[in-house]
Amino acid sequence: MSVAFKPITTENGKGIFHLFPALCKGCGLCIEKCPVDTIGWARQLGAFGTPVVEPGHGKPCIACKKCQLVCPDAAIWIERRNGQGRTDALTAAPQAPGNEK
Amino acid sequence: MAIAAQPQMPRVWRAESKPHKFCPGCGHGIVLKALGEAVDALGIQERTIFGCDIGCSLLSWDFFNLDTIQTHHGRTTPVLVGIKRARPELVVVSYMGDGGAYAIGAQHLVSSASRNDLVTIIVVNNTVYAMTGGQMAPTTLPGQKTETTPYGRDVELTGRPMLGPELVAAIAPPGAYVARGSVANVVQLKNYIQKGLENQIQGRGIAFIEALSSCPTNWRTNAAETWRFLEKEMSAYFPVGELRTPEEKPAARLREVPAHGPKP
Repeated sequence: MSVAFKPITTENGKGIFHLFPALCKGCGLCIEKCPVDTIGWARQLGAFGTPVVEPGHGKPCIACKKCQLVCPDAAIWIERRNGQGRTDALTAAPQAPGNEK
Repeated sequence: MAIAAQPQMPRVWRAESKPHKFCPGCGHGIVLKALGEAVDALGIQERTIFGCDIGCSLLSWDFFNLDTIQTHHGRTTPVLVGIKRARPELVVVSYMGDGGAYAIGAQHLVSSASRNDLVTIIVVNNTVYAMTGGQMAPTTLPGQKTETTPYGRDVELTGRPMLGPELVAAIAPPGAYVARGSVANVVQLKNYIQKGLENQIQGRGIAFIEALSSCPTNWRTNAAETWRFLEKEMSAYFPVGELRTPEEKPAARLREVPAHGPKP
């Protein structure tokens, strides 16, 4: 990929929320689709000078990736936390069988 | 240098042309994402020809790293059928809006369906002519307010909304694949498009996929009302699902085609 987009990375709940302000047009489709209402408007402005979105407005993110799926501009990428920097056993990475140390 | 996180675009998307030219909240981006993922999954990027029609759909002319052609008024389908007949190893995708496919270019769609051409047609249905300012289209729902129907569409005067997949399913010979998806269910839509592309690659017949899409600009809706209209009202009139699959037993009238003609 010859073009690089600069992400805003926010960790919330079970997910790492990467948002690309150069792609986000502020349509708000992801805000309506979020099952835990964690996505809301941010102060940062996006491609058309409209507010971009950020997590952390409702309940913690459950990393269902619905926002990533419905974003028409591919401006959202949700990464699962996979247990790195975890605080409790609930967010730990599932161990593949035969892969235990 | 460590590379920062990058957007998860389908590999076939052309990143240089992003953000794309569609309005905020436009369903075209979601349909083209589903198409890009289907092309990625089948690994046919090198031999796919993408054709776009007039209307908002032509804004996808630099969307993909694919050979692209733009024609007018539903003639995308016959142009791509010509390409397919000249170079049968290629995979051709005809991408149209409901205005280009149903209103202005319906004759090309009907002829292509009755010939069972090897082409994958994707029609994006957003119930209005979006590029020209939101006038009434053949797919405008009864009572829906548009630029040219300020009191709502009157079905007594202007007829009922057109059901494209039902039309193609009724006339297409056996081997056709006809489905209707929605941008509210991206995974299902991607599966339909992928099945449509496979139908063409296996040489079974026409593949026709309609995608219910959104147009917040011309519907004058916010995000919540956009989803409600798409998922509740549009899906109620235009049922989502597969209408024809190549595996099914064809109807009796389509099965046998004897030769006819007066005997001299």
